[in-house]
Amino acid sequence: MTFDLQRILESKRALRRSLAQRPVAEKLALLDVLRERTRAIRAAARRAETMARESSSKDRAQLRNF
Amino acid sequence: MSIAQVISVINQMEADAVVARYAIGGAVGATFYLEPVATLDLDIFVAFPRRPGHAVVSPRPIFDYLTTRGGVVEGEYVVLAGWPVQFLPATSPLVEEALTEAVTVDVEGTPARVLTSEHLAAIALQTGRAKDHARLLQFIEAAALDAERFQALVRRHGLLDRWQTFDRRFLQGSS
Repeated sequence: MTFDLQRILESKRALRRSLAQRPVAEKLALLDVLRERTRAIRAAARRAETMARESSSKDRAQLRNF
Repeated sequence: MSIAQVISVINQMEADAVVARYAIGGAVGATFYLEPVATLDLDIFVAFPRRPGHAVVSPRPIFDYLTTRGGVVEGEYVVLAGWPVQFLPATSPLVEEALTEAVTVDVEGTPARVLTSEHLAAIALQTGRAKDHARLLQFIEAAALDAERFQALVRRHGLLDRWQTFDRRFLQGSS
């Protein structure tokens, strides 16, 4: 483990290279996993947005009744 | 629920002559050459069988075929094995050529036809959105392009201005 930026960037490049070199079937299986994760993240972001909207309109209503 | 299942269904669709030829493009196509990148959909380029008297190309035969095999139409997509699949007709000389020159890759016994890396890169350059530029940079950084082939494509399809702009914006001074 290091905080040397050059080494961090190089290790990222090495990870990308090693992922790119994996067999196609393995990479396609990774796409399935990545897609599920992306969907979960987007759904969570949407839920957070809705909650923020609801809470802000509740706050406004409370202020109006103050 | 896997992309490999989708490829099998599309192979069968081509064997049943619903489309004349297909090839995988977009982020999934790029994954054949690069590291996998998260994507929500699958782009399939298709050529249709020539039918006398039918000048207008319609995706209807594809939708009809796939809905009888478990596909669900959602707007412009057909959802197959959980993946939204978009079928893109070959409407430009670049895509027509890309489809003709697409290569078959063996995916654990299942053949999958995919655009060449040079055609994927040229289509990304032509489309020109931020994510297309990012993909083109990935191809360059990974040395996944045959430079001579790619340059010939850029010239042949009138993309030289776009390439020069891309080069100035993203590549000059980056090495």
